[in-house]
Amino acid sequence: MTDRASFLAAIRSTPRGLDPGLPDRRDAPDAPTQLREGENRADRLQAEAEAASTVVHRVTANDVAATVASVLVETNSQRIALTTDLAPFVEDVQAAMSVAGLTGSIYAEVASNRAQAGALDATVTGCIAAVAASGSIVTSAAGAGRAGALIAPTHICVVRDEQIVGGLHELFDGDVLAEAGSLFALQSGPSRSADIEKVLILGVHGPGNVHLVIVAPD
Amino acid sequence: MSATREDVGGTPLPPGWAKPAHQPDAFELTTTTFEERAAKTMARPFARGAIANATDHAAALTTARFVGTDHQALREEARRIRAHAIANLPDYLDQWIDQAERKGTIVHYASDESEARRIVAQICTDQQITRVVKSKSMASEEVSLNSALEAVGVDIYETDLGEFVVQAMGDRPGHVIAPILHRTKDEVHELFSAMAGHELPNEAEALTAFAREGLRHAFLTADAGISGGNFLIAETGDVLIVTNEGNGRLTTSLPPIHIALVGIEKVLPRRRDLAVLLPLLTGHGTGQQITTYVSVSAGPRRQGEPDGPEQMHVVLLDAGRSALLGGEFEEALHCIRCGACQNVCPVYRQVGGHAYGWVYGGPIGAVLTPLFRGQEEAGELAQATTLCGACDDVCPVKIPLHDLLLGLRRRSDADGHVPRHEQLAFALWAQVWSRPLLYRATTAVARGSLRTLARDGVVSAKNPLLRRWTAGRDLIVDRRPR
Repeated sequence: MTDRASFLAAIRSTPRGLDPGLPDRRDAPDAPTQLREGENRADRLQAEAEAASTVVHRVTANDVAATVASVLVETNSQRIALTTDLAPFVEDVQAAMSVAGLTGSIYAEVASNRAQAGALDATVTGCIAAVAASGSIVTSAAGAGRAGALIAPTHICVVRDEQIVGGLHELFDGDVLAEAGSLFALQSGPSRSADIEKVLILGVHGPGNVHLVIVAPD
Repeated sequence: MSATREDVGGTPLPPGWAKPAHQPDAFELTTTTFEERAAKTMARPFARGAIANATDHAAALTTARFVGTDHQALREEARRIRAHAIANLPDYLDQWIDQAERKGTIVHYASDESEARRIVAQICTDQQITRVVKSKSMASEEVSLNSALEAVGVDIYETDLGEFVVQAMGDRPGHVIAPILHRTKDEVHELFSAMAGHELPNEAEALTAFAREGLRHAFLTADAGISGGNFLIAETGDVLIVTNEGNGRLTTSLPPIHIALVGIEKVLPRRRDLAVLLPLLTGHGTGQQITTYVSVSAGPRRQGEPDGPEQMHVVLLDAGRSALLGGEFEEALHCIRCGACQNVCPVYRQVGGHAYGWVYGGPIGAVLTPLFRGQEEAGELAQATTLCGACDDVCPVKIPLHDLLLGLRRRSDADGHVPRHEQLAFALWAQVWSRPLLYRATTAVARGSLRTLARDGVVSAKNPLLRRWTAGRDLIVDRRPR
């Protein structure tokens, strides 16, 4: 079997191509995934998320729990898990759920058994950031887990206004990814496929219903 | 791991479903010509129409996506990043390996296709892996990974909906990102109904739901997940995977072992380079603002994380790539596999992906296949182009595909792969058509002859003299019938 040294040596033995140098980040050109001048982050996030078939709810901190509970009722979800990055809303959400006659487990307890995780109807997660210009929720292995956002047919994600970054440049230049753990992930709307004759189908392997709850600043 | 297999939700797929009567074991590259393969797609009118429709649709979405942005500047930035990464490939790979190993990834080195197959088969044997879920990977198509794993007793489930159909049909993907572009809903319906043992509704939604159920069971019971990788990030040791269905993330999250097979050219220096490359990959691939799922992982599950694999293996694949470094065709390594060049190629749009005989179709396939498989096997693919340059115009990282195709034609010529009579014919043609008087005289004769063959201004497909030209379409000699 080839080892690291001989593998790299074979590559190093080739002639070196033209190197134009790595571009400087500061004069990076505009991309569709950047915020335009004067745009409001939360408004753009809502617009992009809705364009990707996400249902967006704009609420104050006091209404988060009730909104989450009503989505769970609407989607007829019974087996529900919450991830720890939902803090500081975990207790409120659990209280609102019990008013609605629902109970939720903590995802970490469910996830240790794949069969249980696979049978969930809904997950409720927080996130480590949201990207306004791409309409994306950014989750981490340390928080929502790797599969917490897409294991169940319904995913509800709560994002606080201060967690919204403008575009992909801000996300990758910021320090929010440093504590993500073994994985960070962007998800932008429901799971989709158009493999069969270009007919768009939502909810292929991941959720068909994605709800984004944007919490206004205090 | 296998004790809980039967009772986890989802519906197990029937045994033997993945062993279709026809197995695509051998590539057709050596046994057939481009023309013969192209004729197969040309003979299926639906396939031609579907390919043209789908590619038109994708190309229009791409154009719309970048309106109002400085698209050209973004492409130039991407070109520079890719060129820099490839020019410094050994250094960035070295850095990637350091970072990946620091985070607990086990890195393997495959110099060629057979070594890649051996490594993955060995991991499966060592770890007693008998069931694998797989997310779409063109690198695994390159090395024919599935048949190698089946040989050591592994059941493989392709989880991308299109790849699932491809696998069950014993077919090969027809497009880099839309594998069953060339297949109809009716064909999928027939296939899935046979698998289900009863007639399913002939609707995309119901057919997708059938696949989801079966594959969900596979996700929940697989011993390992095998993926490709869209990028490797040198500064952090990350492997990045994009999918729209979510199968990529489930493949790399649910089973206890994740194995990624990634070409060495996929390396990018920094995470921030993704801010340039990701919108181009997805914008040129599907016309989306961003792919639904972008997953960036480094190493196995860590302490305190609720889910994730206990082992992460990455197999770095060379298989002909390093041989291109520093040479005339180095820019072929800049490719990020978005498929945009296929969508705009007038040849691909008529003949589809299978005509190219190997893994990649369209202009990038006509370039990569002769480079990876050799001139002898695939040199003729450099002729499968009109040299219109549409691929250059659409490539998000500005690969000069048409220059590379010309270079391959020159190489073919220099190697003596062009027959003597063809060389003479073209030499004569060049002499004649570079003289205005002779040019006018010969075209007048040609026009006159065509008019004698034509009826109502059209040479129809039935004319035996020009059959090779008119087999697929009428030749219009005069716009207005005389």
